[in-house]
Amino acid sequence: MRSLAPTALCVLAALATPAACADGSDFSGQVRSYGVYRQTANTGPLAQAHALQPGIASVDGSTHTVQLEMRGNATLGPVSLHAGTTLEAQQGGDPSGNTQGRFNEAYASGNVAAGWQWSAGKRVASWDVGYGFRPNDVVQQEQRRTLVAQPLEGRPLLMAERFSADNAWSLVWVNPTQQASTSGARERALAGRGYWHSGAVDWYAFARQGEQTGGSLGAAVSWVASDALELHASVRGGQQLVGGTWTHASQVSLLVEAWHDSTTWSNAQWSAWSARNLALSQWQARGVPAEAVAGNLAQQANAFGVAGNLRQDNVFARVSWQHERWETALDLLYTPADRGVVATASFAWTGERVKLEAGLRATAGPNGAIVRQLPVQRQGYAAATWAF
Amino acid sequence: MQRILVNTLAALAMAVAATAPALAQDIPTLLKDADHYRMGADNLQVDTQVSVFHTDGSPDKERRYTVFAQAGRKSLVLMQSPVEKGQKVLMLGDDFWLVMPGSQRPLRITPMQKLLGDASTGDIATMSWAGDYTGQLLGEEPCSAEAKTPVCLHLSLQAARKGVTYQRIELWIGKTRHEPVRADLFVQSDKLAKQAHFVMDQAAHPASVSEMVLVDQLSNKKETRIRYLARKDRTVPEEWLNPMFLAHSPALE
Repeated sequence: MRSLAPTALCVLAALATPAACADGSDFSGQVRSYGVYRQTANTGPLAQAHALQPGIASVDGSTHTVQLEMRGNATLGPVSLHAGTTLEAQQGGDPSGNTQGRFNEAYASGNVAAGWQWSAGKRVASWDVGYGFRPNDVVQQEQRRTLVAQPLEGRPLLMAERFSADNAWSLVWVNPTQQASTSGARERALAGRGYWHSGAVDWYAFARQGEQTGGSLGAAVSWVASDALELHASVRGGQQLVGGTWTHASQVSLLVEAWHDSTTWSNAQWSAWSARNLALSQWQARGVPAEAVAGNLAQQANAFGVAGNLRQDNVFARVSWQHERWETALDLLYTPADRGVVATASFAWTGERVKLEAGLRATAGPNGAIVRQLPVQRQGYAAATWAF
Repeated sequence: MQRILVNTLAALAMAVAATAPALAQDIPTLLKDADHYRMGADNLQVDTQVSVFHTDGSPDKERRYTVFAQAGRKSLVLMQSPVEKGQKVLMLGDDFWLVMPGSQRPLRITPMQKLLGDASTGDIATMSWAGDYTGQLLGEEPCSAEAKTPVCLHLSLQAARKGVTYQRIELWIGKTRHEPVRADLFVQSDKLAKQAHFVMDQAAHPASVSEMVLVDQLSNKKETRIRYLARKDRTVPEEWLNPMFLAHSPALE
C-alpha cells in the first residue's frame, strides 16, 4: 500500500477526534465491495491483434474491489478542514492484487473580506448542468456514464468564491503546481463561473484560460418549465448540449439529452480509421510479419481514448423508476453517424445502511459502428455498500 | 306536522347562530393559528425523525433530517441518516434544488421530483399553510368519524400558488384553539394521496404538534410518522439558502 494511505487515515482520525478540533467535527464513510465482469470482444482491432499475437496489449479484465471511503470535516477557529480518502484492494486488475490509497479531497477553507471565501488544496469542483456530457465542467472534467460510480478525485486548486442570495461567483486556479506543458485534465488553468438564480431559471456563465488550450467562454441554463419538466442546455466552443427531465407522479423519470462535441474525432477521421483497420487486416496476406500487423492493430485501439465521446453527435436517453426501496433504470447512448448503441440496465435497493446495486452494459448496432469495435462489448457489475 | 317543521327550523337557526362566530373568522387567520402549532416562530431549526411502517405495523425504514424552516417560504433539509448523509434539499418558494454528496453541482428539480418518497421532502420541509392556500370554512364537524365530540372546524383549502406539495387540503382544526387535528391531502389530479393526523404535545392544553402521522392512500397504504424531536429558533446565514454554497459546503454545522 502506498504511504499515502496511512497518512490519509491519520488525517481523518484527527478530523474525527473532537479533541483535535476547537469547534467540533463530523465523520462519515462507507465500505463497498463490487465486482465488474467483462467479456472481451472477438471483433475490433484489439481482438485481431490478440489473435495474431496473444498478450500484445492489455485489455481490462474482470475485477473484484473492496473499497473503504472516509470523509471528515473539522473547524479550527476561522479555518474549516475537509478530507476524504479512498483505500482500496483490487483483484484481477493490472497488476492483480493491487492495493492503494488516495486523497479524494484535502483542503482548507475560510472567509476573507467582503463576503469572499477561499479554499486551498485538493478539491472536487464539478460544474455544468448536463448528465451524459458536460461541456463546461472545465475544472473537474469528470468522466461521465461510468458503469460503476466512483468517488470523485478532486483537483489541486486555489479557489475564491462569493455567495449572495441569488448569485455566486467562483474563481479557480487549478493544477497550479503542474508543468506548463501538461495537458488534459491536469493542465494548469484559470477558470471562472458566474451563477444567477432568477425564478424558474438558473443561469451560468463560464470562462477558462488554459496554459495549453488558451481561452474559452461558455454558458449554461436550467429551466423548470412546468411541475414535471426541467429543460437544460450548455454550450462552450464546439461543444453543445440540450436536454430535459420529465417526471411522472408514478415516480417514473425520463431524461433525454443530445450533444455535439467537435473536440473528438470527426466522421472523416473515423472513416479513415476504419479503412486503416481493413488495410491492416490484409497486410499479413502480403507477407508483413504477424508481430508488425498486430502492433499496428493494437495501436489503432488508442483512438478509443482520444476524448470522452467517441463520436461527435450523440443522443442519450435514460428512463428510471423509483418504487419504495427499489430503483431501476435503463439508459441508451446512440450515435446517429454509425447507428451504434451502448445500453445499460441497472437496479438498486437501498436499506437503512446497506445499498445493493447491479447492472449490465452491452453494445449494439451494425458491425461497422465504432462502439462495436471496443475491446469490451459486454460487462456487468454487482456492488454492496455499507454506510457508517 | 307544522310543529315539527317549526322545531326543525328553530334548531337549524340555533346551529347557524352557534357556528356564526367561527364562520366569521377569516381563513388566513385560522391557518396562521394552525401553523403556529408546527412552526412556532418565523425561523426555526427542527430535528425530525421519519419512521415508515408496513400495513401490518412492522417497521419498514427510519430516516433523520434537520430542517431549517425560514420566513418567506424558504426551507433547507439536511439528510442525516447514514445511507443519505450529505444529501440536501433547498426549497425557495416554488424553486427546488437537490445536492448530492461527493458532487459540487446542485441539481435543479421539479415540484414532481420533490414529491418522491413515502414522506416527501415537501411533507418534511413544509410546515405552514398560510400564504400557500386559500379556501373556505365549511362549518363545524366532529373531529373524527368515530366520535361525535370534540367538534372541529372543517376548512377546504385550494393551493394559491404552484409548487406546493398538495393541490387541495381538507383540514380539520380544533374549534377553540385552532390546533390542526387531521387532514386529507389531494395531489394535482385531485386524487386523495395521504391522510394525516396530528399528535399534540399535550391533549388538554396543546402547545405544539409533536408528531404528524401520514397514511398513504394512493398505493401502498403505509403509515409514515414524522416526529418533531426538537425545535429551536434559528435564522441561518443568507448564503446557506444559495444552492451553489450548499454544493460547495460539505458540512454546514
